[in-house]
Amino acid sequence: MTAAPENAALIKRLSSLSLAGGGVPYYKGGGPSAEPALQALLALSVSSAPAEISNPLLTWATKLQNSDGSIAINPVHRDQGLWLTALAAVVFHKFGLKDARDRALGFVVSLKSVTIPNDPRVRQNNLLTGWPWVPGTFGWVEPTAWSLVALNVCGLGGHPRATEGRAFLLDREILSGGWNYGNPGLNDRELLPFWDTTGLALIALHGQVDVDKVRASLDLLDKNQEKIDSPCGLAWAAMGLETYGRDVARLKMRLFSLLSSLPEDTLNAAHLAVGLIALSGRKVFVA
Amino acid sequence: MKRREFLKGAAVLANATAFGSLARGGQLTPAPCPVTMLPMPDYGRDLEKEIAAVMTGDGLVLRGKKVLLKPNFVETHPERPINTHPAVIAHVAHACLRLGAAEVVVGEASGHRRDPWFSVLNPKLSSILDKRVRCMDLNHGDAVATPNRGVLTGLPAFYLARPVSDADVLISLPKMKTHHWAGVTLCLKNLFGVLPGIYYGWPKNLLHFRGIEQSILDLARTVKVHYNVIDGVIGMEGDGPIMGKARPVGSLILSPFSLAADATAARIMGFDPRKIPYLGQAGRFLPGLRPEDVVFRGENPKRFATQFDCLEDFKRMRGGPFF
Repeated sequence: MTAAPENAALIKRLSSLSLAGGGVPYYKGGGPSAEPALQALLALSVSSAPAEISNPLLTWATKLQNSDGSIAINPVHRDQGLWLTALAAVVFHKFGLKDARDRALGFVVSLKSVTIPNDPRVRQNNLLTGWPWVPGTFGWVEPTAWSLVALNVCGLGGHPRATEGRAFLLDREILSGGWNYGNPGLNDRELLPFWDTTGLALIALHGQVDVDKVRASLDLLDKNQEKIDSPCGLAWAAMGLETYGRDVARLKMRLFSLLSSLPEDTLNAAHLAVGLIALSGRKVFVA
Repeated sequence: MKRREFLKGAAVLANATAFGSLARGGQLTPAPCPVTMLPMPDYGRDLEKEIAAVMTGDGLVLRGKKVLLKPNFVETHPERPINTHPAVIAHVAHACLRLGAAEVVVGEASGHRRDPWFSVLNPKLSSILDKRVRCMDLNHGDAVATPNRGVLTGLPAFYLARPVSDADVLISLPKMKTHHWAGVTLCLKNLFGVLPGIYYGWPKNLLHFRGIEQSILDLARTVKVHYNVIDGVIGMEGDGPIMGKARPVGSLILSPFSLAADATAARIMGFDPRKIPYLGQAGRFLPGLRPEDVVFRGENPKRFATQFDCLEDFKRMRGGPFF
């Protein structure tokens, strides 16, 4: 499958952000970072980009892997941003790097959030284990969702950690739909749902829980399509909704238009890459 | 971390101070600290010239300098004054250009929104800024490991966003708000936003885990802030910093001294800053906590003094009248 011709300019734009020494920065002028490089690899793979573009990036990404299987945020700070290991596992899986993938998955399974006693101010189950941003801290929606995506994509959706992770995500779903970063509410008031976390959480739960359990979030995202206006929000909303068969044609048109017009200095390479994955319609993040 | 542990750590801090190990931010220069109340009844008023004049009067030299403005963007809600108002950011940015700054960057590592569209990369902000002003998402990018000069969190270093580390001058632009964990959030608390989320997560749970107050104090020792402008035009009372209600105050608060600005803002909000634990502790190594440390310029703060509604837990921190 080749990329749609209209996306060619965006792929070229993404490729142009690769650094001579390896890796991709978040923003032009920055140093290489794991997340934009990993997302770029996935975007290039769904665009059927030639191996001479993706291979150097893949080599750079594999060098970020630590001896315990974790992936560093960048070559300088090798003990930071370890939550990105889940995304790396997805990339290694897609590119057939079985050993690197298995070591990454081993780390993902070993990484657990801290649990704390329940608090009446936040009506959620603090005793459930998810995944943290930083080892030794609490669980949050995004790192938990990424870890579930990795386990699902790599055929470990039935792992006990995945089962509890899904319970964690469902527990954090806002009653009227969507996900914030962690708490669904505080002091009896609902927090705001975010489009990016909602899209990602929906993908992480796809095929693993009854759709009725996430229908409020799906409907919320669907009915707010016209309100979503950021590249990142549009991309994750499009992927989340399309995963469940909803019509996202207009979302994709707006996403394409926005990604094509963003000034260079404010273009986040990871968001461009995720946008390209969304535009491709390929279900990279589901099994 | 429990309050008892915080106080225990604070005792260590107090001892360290007693033995003279003042670090960065240890600005115990001769009092008094100038604080200027600049009336701004609404966001439609352009105070660029007045802000530049106050900065100059306070001895801030920007000619040829790289300036980083650090506003407070938490998350966006159409009916709640959560973030530093774009008009205030624009006025301060343009005042910096007026004073000859070589480079002005508006940078923020928003704690609640990973998507920078809801922070400094929203086109609505850039549309009101001079083309020479750049907006930078500090959440995603390079960081510089900077030794923690405090002792309360136990963190050996803070990863500061590189634009913060590279700036010659850091100006803090917080919003005047209550805070449901710390009492108030002003200049000192605003420093959480110099730490990239890509290292610390969203929210920056590592800092919460190590103690919000402890983190505020360690950051205050580690990060040098050169100037402060608090957006007190419309503040937030009640269940801040996100779920509260608008409270018009009608003033900017300007000072080279973070704690003096924060203590003044707290008093205007009806709180005794010495009863707000982290402000009280900051007074051990930063100037400006005591009323006698502060000299007011511009309008008399009494004109703006009010009493912010707050959660029950924080009513014991109230005091006054102060002016």
